[in-house]
Amino acid sequence: MASREIVRYKSPARSAFSVLVIVFLIVFFVWTVLPLAIMLISSFKDLLDAFKLPAEGDWGGVGVMFDFTPTSAHYVELFTEKHFGLYIRNSLIAALGSAVVSVFLGTMAAYALSRAEFRGKKHLLFWIISTRMAPVVAVMVPLYVIFRSSGLVGTLPGLILAYTTFNLPFAIWILKGFFDNVPYAIEEAALVDGANRWQSLRMIMPLVAPGVGAFIVLCVLFSWNDFLFASIIGSGGAKTLPVATAELVQPVKIQWGSIMAAGVVTTAPMMFLGLLIRRYLVTGLTMGAVRE
Amino acid sequence: MTSISIKDVWKYYGKTMAVKELNIEVRDNEFLCLLGPSGCGKSSTLRMLAGLEFISSGEIFFGDLKVNDIPPRDRDIAMVFENYALYPHKTVFENMANPLKMQKLNKTDIKERVVWAAQMLEIEELLQRKPVELSGGQKQRTAIGRAIVREPKVFLFDEPIAHLDAQLRSHMRGELKHLQRRLETTTVYVTHDQLEGLTMADRIAVMHEGVLQQLGTPGEIYNHPINEFVAGFVGEPPMNFLDCRIERAGDSVSLVYDNMNLSLSGEQSKILEVQNAASEVRLGIRPDNLTIEMGENHGMEFSAKIFVTEPLGGDMLIEADLGRDRMTIKRKITDLGAPGDACGIAIDIDSLHVFDRETGEAFF
Repeated sequence: MASREIVRYKSPARSAFSVLVIVFLIVFFVWTVLPLAIMLISSFKDLLDAFKLPAEGDWGGVGVMFDFTPTSAHYVELFTEKHFGLYIRNSLIAALGSAVVSVFLGTMAAYALSRAEFRGKKHLLFWIISTRMAPVVAVMVPLYVIFRSSGLVGTLPGLILAYTTFNLPFAIWILKGFFDNVPYAIEEAALVDGANRWQSLRMIMPLVAPGVGAFIVLCVLFSWNDFLFASIIGSGGAKTLPVATAELVQPVKIQWGSIMAAGVVTTAPMMFLGLLIRRYLVTGLTMGAVRE
Repeated sequence: MTSISIKDVWKYYGKTMAVKELNIEVRDNEFLCLLGPSGCGKSSTLRMLAGLEFISSGEIFFGDLKVNDIPPRDRDIAMVFENYALYPHKTVFENMANPLKMQKLNKTDIKERVVWAAQMLEIEELLQRKPVELSGGQKQRTAIGRAIVREPKVFLFDEPIAHLDAQLRSHMRGELKHLQRRLETTTVYVTHDQLEGLTMADRIAVMHEGVLQQLGTPGEIYNHPINEFVAGFVGEPPMNFLDCRIERAGDSVSLVYDNMNLSLSGEQSKILEVQNAASEVRLGIRPDNLTIEMGENHGMEFSAKIFVTEPLGGDMLIEADLGRDRMTIKRKITDLGAPGDACGIAIDIDSLHVFDRETGEAFF
């Protein structure tokens, strides 16, 4: 087999380009990480320290940013007075609940759509994904009316249902791609071995595991980050982290310290999740096209 | 360990007919080969036996039990697939143990059976490997192992050795045949390779375009093909066919090809008379039943020119140009003949086949 490596020759332009690439990466890194760093540092400062600014033009004064006495007051306040423990729990239940429901229903629907041939299958598939094409705002009012008359507004099941409405089509499409890649013969072998349909589906589940993993992450991310559903459908009884954080901005006083701490609390778990299953995410999104 | 009856079975995929009015009786412990080119309905038939396809109409019996509506898991069959269909995330041991696990056998029994099968197939040392770490032949043995651990009533093989290299294939032919005799299990084996059919099967069912052409022992199929398709499909190199005319002179009948004349035996003449053959027929003769002699003055039925010679090691294939057609002759290797040389070809009259040119049916 011919080598697929691209032959490169050294030239002044190419050297200059590689320097530019490095410069770009540094700028991009600072651009991305700086706000997060400021958020993290500020969450440990009291308000006076947080707004301490160096004199204009005094670049040496950057050190001021790090000149403070760390305090965990904001975190303590979040978890005692502001009940963030409850909101974290709500966020987790809503995100994981929706992920589990979507994966369960999505797996079965995707399996059926991958294996069965019937009239109108293409149209059905398109209809499923088309429900994701409408902007969330467009469906919010009718959804709210339906949820209110069913008593689902302000409850966690309501929120899970709302997220599932949006996650399920996505689940079906992603997982169908994975099931399509599993040769039917493997299932047939299982059937001949003495399995029924359920058992043969369970038999091939490990083969679509990367898809399920990738989907769970995307699903959790969507639900965790969501503000619109949470503020309208989850308002009251099922308040999640983004909504709770937004409520820290009050007419009389913007509680910067608490907001920073809340930001850390909200983003940290997802960043860990992303790091943890980064590999899955790549294989998942390329639909198994990338070979390990 | 059961007989199989396929009764008036039809299979349609939408409006496409795959199998037409199929009737086959597979005897207890028999090795039956379904042979035919791709798209002839042999795999569909096998999959209906396995329960992986619905039967459009007709009935299939295992012994006295009608299996039409019985799902694969309750048919007590084992199947080896063309692409092996191993479970990629399981080890060889787990792959082979799966059918037993489904039967809820206890662990010691499972281990005993798997090791027994692995020993028989000589893959004991591979039990802890995953399918990706196996060669084609090893994968195929694992697939066979998965089939034999359970001692099923019926083995179904769907071109199991089609993807192996030639040497391994010829080795596995012997192994599979030996295994089937040893386990004494009714076996249906699908292949497009006529050699596999001839070498392994007790009986062969030749299929073409969804229709069963002929069912018989390898000897019957090879020596007495029922029509032109079977005659041409079975045998390597394939049978030679020549369009001839029948000429009758008194009691004797002869076949005329251009200006060459071939007198038939009395028995052959009688068959053609009784069956009222049309005067236009097709002659069929296997390359083994021809003799060739070089030179202009050979005193043989056909005069020809050498077109090409293909040495096969011990034997040699000679393609000879008769003018309108070419004929392949197989003989022991000699260093005779360059392309263009004149030669004479003689036909062994007793090995001759004559087919109706319209229907392809064989007279003899």
